[in-house]
Amino acid sequence: MNYPIYSHDLVIIGGGLSGLRAAIESSKTGFDVAVVSKVHPLRSHSVAAQGGINAALGNAVGGEDDNWERHAFDTVKGSDYLADQDAVEIMCKEAPRAVIELEHMGTVFSRMEDGRIAQRPFGGAGFPRTCYAADRTGHNLLHTLFEQVNSRNITIYPEYYVTSLVKNSGRCVGCIALNIADGTLHGFVTKAVLLATGGYGRLFARSTNALINTGDGAALAYRADVPLEDMEFVQFHPTTLYGTNILITEGARGEGGYLYNNKHERFMEDYASKAMELAPRDIVARAIQTEIDEGRGFKGEYVHLDLTHLGADKINERLPGIRLISMDFAGVDPIEKPIPVQPGQHYSMGGIAVNTKGETELPGLYTVGECSCVSVHGANRLGGNSLLETVVFGKLVGGEIAQKLPNISKPSKEPFKDTLEKESKRLDKLLSQEEGERPSNIREELRKIMFDHFGVFRDEQTMKEGLEKLRILQKRFSNACIDNKDLVFNYALIYTLELEGMLLIAEALALGAIERQESRGSHFRTDYPKRDDKKFLLHTIAYYRDEKTELEYAPVTLGIFPVKERVY
Amino acid sequence: MKMKIFRYDKKTQKPRYDVFEIDPTPGMTVLGALFYIRNNLDDSLSFRYSCRGAVCGICALQINNVPRLACRTQISSLLEGTAEIQLRNYQVEVKEKWDSREEVLVEPLHYFTIIKDLVVDKKRFFDLYNATQPVFKPADEPPERERLMDPEAVKELENYTNCILCAACVSSCPVNLKNPEYIGPASLAKLYRFHIDPRESEDDSRVLLMNNKAGWWACEFHGNCRRVCPKGVPPIIAIGKARGRIDKIGKVPTEFSKK
Repeated sequence: MNYPIYSHDLVIIGGGLSGLRAAIESSKTGFDVAVVSKVHPLRSHSVAAQGGINAALGNAVGGEDDNWERHAFDTVKGSDYLADQDAVEIMCKEAPRAVIELEHMGTVFSRMEDGRIAQRPFGGAGFPRTCYAADRTGHNLLHTLFEQVNSRNITIYPEYYVTSLVKNSGRCVGCIALNIADGTLHGFVTKAVLLATGGYGRLFARSTNALINTGDGAALAYRADVPLEDMEFVQFHPTTLYGTNILITEGARGEGGYLYNNKHERFMEDYASKAMELAPRDIVARAIQTEIDEGRGFKGEYVHLDLTHLGADKINERLPGIRLISMDFAGVDPIEKPIPVQPGQHYSMGGIAVNTKGETELPGLYTVGECSCVSVHGANRLGGNSLLETVVFGKLVGGEIAQKLPNISKPSKEPFKDTLEKESKRLDKLLSQEEGERPSNIREELRKIMFDHFGVFRDEQTMKEGLEKLRILQKRFSNACIDNKDLVFNYALIYTLELEGMLLIAEALALGAIERQESRGSHFRTDYPKRDDKKFLLHTIAYYRDEKTELEYAPVTLGIFPVKERVY
Repeated sequence: MKMKIFRYDKKTQKPRYDVFEIDPTPGMTVLGALFYIRNNLDDSLSFRYSCRGAVCGICALQINNVPRLACRTQISSLLEGTAEIQLRNYQVEVKEKWDSREEVLVEPLHYFTIIKDLVVDKKRFFDLYNATQPVFKPADEPPERERLMDPEAVKELENYTNCILCAACVSSCPVNLKNPEYIGPASLAKLYRFHIDPRESEDDSRVLLMNNKAGWWACEFHGNCRRVCPKGVPPIIAIGKARGRIDKIGKVPTEFSKK
């Protein structure tokens, strides 16, 4: 068959904040850059970020003497000392410039009375450092960056699902993508590929993430023999809306919201008496889960997030989106009643192993943002640091690639013919199955297994059972049957392709979690409740070899902050 | 209850309505029902989705002949009639009858070309968006720090920056449906957002860009845009204010030309 093959200097897979920021930077010097995304870029999950973006601007009262070192310290401590301190230093030093640059691009940030960018308190910091645009920060940033990309000479391929990377002589030379609109396969020949596909939150039953966050980039890299790092570190956000698990921003507590159990006790007193509701997310999530597990939650497994004392004006000004979400999806007006909340998966700290220049082990393949693990978040991300990571490293990696491009010759189209045929056969096989199991059943079971066996609290036996169940699901996948054989907007097919990758990376997560016999940040083991720096001050590196996951360990890059006990 | 869903594919080119009987769980949204159908009853049903939390703007559909986000619309609210939106002068022919007490009618957005089932080609919408040059154009060179902004100005801007480009307004607008040239409420609201941005030039170039019969002057103030907006954006107010500004500076509307 003849397949269309396109050539670009750089293809960026993913059109969220990381991908778009990298596109802007890499195209500045006239390179031919394309963004390939399975949704239109404006529908990327970045749009859902609410509370804000951290930067030591020193604008807020109480934070005038803030500086990058303080931000870096909070980040490293928040990470339970697993973050690489060189990466954290880059991020925190660049933060003020990155935020001001977004302002210069047109983002309408919330302001203080004197007109400077406002900052609100967030978990894990002692004073206000989080810049915000009401509680719609991600939306405002994504629309701003899309406007910038849209006004530049950058090609966008919306609704193209990348099915595999293409390698030649030990180098990544492009990718194969399925045009969702008509089901045709396309080749993209490029000098470099940048993966910016977001996290793997949809591996879990309760998740704040968009339905599209299925870890596609991690699976693409893993299959191309690129290792994954620290996959077991999964952030559970303390406050997701009961029922739908839509995010209720940490900003709600930053603005003064209280958490109550069914006895109307502010139970955070028992878990973090100083920081209270603004302790880091892992600690608050465990506190809520403990309250629920010990019978002090409400029926249906939730606690109350009470904003009523903040008053209508403050809620309408600072948290208008939260009010709408609570009313639309839970029928609760937070001006009058507390919001029912429960912990849910929120962020993927782990991802594709990468250095601070965005380079993976495979030459020509770069990665940035939530799909990568650089690692600035270590074992627990601080609120407000994910948006920051996207724009700081998006710019940095985009710039790095642009510097390298002149020295890379245009790859041959030759290896594409084979890969396209192979991918075509793979899709045909999936579609030719006439009988079997619905992939959506497998997907729902996977999500439940991951949440039940690799959730907020973990222990060896529960996880090993989970791994067994996971392996059964992997086998069942070979029997997956899609009834719909039509190729036009066949979302059942996309769902199945996503599932195949999810089953693959879930194993790296599971094994990483089982082998890490300690508690650190988001990874809490009831059978090993203490952090063990002697054995595990290390990154987990998972390789996919001979269709098996093999774990190795790599040292954490330490720096100016000595490893200490983490108390809030 | 029954979901009555519009179906279409290019091969047969025969539009039809399929009826699916479902037992909605408490709080189930139209998007949830569509997933239930795709996962359990008919996996060939095509519809777009992403955030499921009313922020990404991908899932706007005609639901009981009103453009709404599928993820934000609860089945129970439709059956009980508690979330009704009355559209004005919305003379769209509904080809299928439905009983709103026990059925929900789901169709692709009007105004667009249908590709498959509930999926439409949004190119027309982004063409309108692009016609208004939607990118920030600051009046002066960037300072070292942030540009200062009055919090009151930010409050006014937020009315319009809240737009998620879901295109519900365009599909609800009687003018858009009869006049293919009309730039439409979403794009005009976006244009107005840049016009009132105090960091941009005060030379009125933004409002004058659409000082024509396809722009501000095409609106007939039916107000459906504001009624259907899932984010409370009021394009109708932006349009009224822009017209007022043009009147004040005494510029005569020009003919519209597509560059």
